[in-house]
Amino acid sequence: MINFQQVSKTYSGGHRALEKVSFHIEPGELAFLTGHSGAGKSTLLKLISLMERPSAGNVFINGTDLNKVNARQIPYARRDIGIIFQNHRLLERHTIFDNVALPLIIEGTHHKQIAKRVHGALDKVGLLDKVKCHPSTLSGGEQQRVGIARAIVNSPPLLLADEPTGNLDPELSMEILKLFEDFNKHGTTVLIATHDLGLVSRMKYRSLTLKEGRMSQDPLAESLL
Amino acid sequence: MSLLFKGRQNANERVKKSSLASGYYFIVNIFRQGVHSLGEMWRTPLASMMTIAVLGLSLTLPATLYLVVKNVQQVSSGFEQASEISLFVKDSMNPQQTQTLVKRLALYPEVESVSFISKQDALSEFESVSGFGQALQYLDSNPLPDVVLVTPTPRHRMPNAAQTLLAKLEAEREVDFGKLDIAWLERLNALLSLLKDSVITIALLLLTSVTLIIGNTIRLSIMDKKEEIQVMKLVGATNAFIHAPFLWTGVWYGVIGGLFSFICVSLMMWWLGSAVSSVADVYQTRFDLIGLSFSELGFLILLATLLGFVGSYLSVNRYIKEIEPDKV
Repeated sequence: MINFQQVSKTYSGGHRALEKVSFHIEPGELAFLTGHSGAGKSTLLKLISLMERPSAGNVFINGTDLNKVNARQIPYARRDIGIIFQNHRLLERHTIFDNVALPLIIEGTHHKQIAKRVHGALDKVGLLDKVKCHPSTLSGGEQQRVGIARAIVNSPPLLLADEPTGNLDPELSMEILKLFEDFNKHGTTVLIATHDLGLVSRMKYRSLTLKEGRMSQDPLAESLL
Repeated sequence: MSLLFKGRQNANERVKKSSLASGYYFIVNIFRQGVHSLGEMWRTPLASMMTIAVLGLSLTLPATLYLVVKNVQQVSSGFEQASEISLFVKDSMNPQQTQTLVKRLALYPEVESVSFISKQDALSEFESVSGFGQALQYLDSNPLPDVVLVTPTPRHRMPNAAQTLLAKLEAEREVDFGKLDIAWLERLNALLSLLKDSVITIALLLLTSVTLIIGNTIRLSIMDKKEEIQVMKLVGATNAFIHAPFLWTGVWYGVIGGLFSFICVSLMMWWLGSAVSSVADVYQTRFDLIGLSFSELGFLILLATLLGFVGSYLSVNRYIKEIEPDKV
């Protein structure tokens, strides 16, 4: 599903964020991406979501080389990837309904379908009663769940999460992870970047570790090489 | 339409639609966005009103100047005729010969009427009118020539025809030279074309500024919605989707600004109307101001709309490109 081959990323300032990173995540897998702040986790996710381009190497998603996706195609590629951010990135001026509906409106979905799917997504994250609220009236955990609902509303095959539990207490974090587990059980490939090692160790999933831009601990990748 | 996952359909495609229906939805969607951005403007009434007022007033000035030209043209078209040709008779002619000339001129098919002013009549009239009566008595002889005033038929009053007639009349043996009194008309026409040119210049300047004002307003609104644009790009919005509401806002500014300027112009015409008629009364004529016609109103609104679109297009094209979601 996600295949990195000898990927390096050097920023224009000369900072080497990633160096010859190779790994492969199978379809239907749930994996963690760990490492200290600045280890390159965010850069790695940006390469997948086409916010950055690799300086060298290739990133494949479902067999498609992202280097061959041009600027005009980027929006269509992003519609296949649900992205969850640490700071939710909700639109403050819009209701929860509008926020979750955004990906569907962008795709030009019929409004009856939109209502059905938005309610479905909000039901999954347990926020059906907050449809008409504005993001600022919700708690941090609730806002994060709205962000998750927005990411899954168009049922993308691939889900990326950047520090989804960063601002939450352990109990809420666990709840969020349970949601990801649930989506994964329905066939979605999930990649979660986090520095919360305690959380990772409590769950029996594969964990990729980045250290100063290098993939330091990935048994599967090592066996492949 | 999935790029990375070939077999994947989005929610929209699961419902089968004919191409005709999707074309219909495309059009409906464009207008829905239009109504939506009008609603957005309604939500910040003060800011929108201020922009619209600036645009409206900027459009009012060229529209008013245009009306001034139009009205002056209407006035001058009434004078667009040379009603008289003055022929000065050679000094060597005796009264007999002059009388024959007058009779001959009256027979011209181009001439409606002829009147004769003898040099004696002219002198006495000059004495009584000019106030030089005393001084004139010191003259040895009458310096004034005999004058024949020729009024051409209506067909020959137009400047060009009158000019031809003048040449023909000047060819008469007894005539020293003739004078067609159209110099002032030429001056008026020259002034009018100067006025027209300055209206065009001022209009061009103001229309440019309208475009820039709309462009800048849209730029500010893009900056204000930076976060929103980033999020939209992250969840897969195409540039066209992000551009649409801003382009619509520009168009609405144009449309409403155009209407506003029409109201301003109409109010001004109404206000000036009474002043103009009192001036006309003094000159014992009747004069009605002409306002904007229906087609001119249409043109004004269309032009304003076009400027709104161009202004917002320039900003949208320039600034939305720069907003990329670089922070996850």
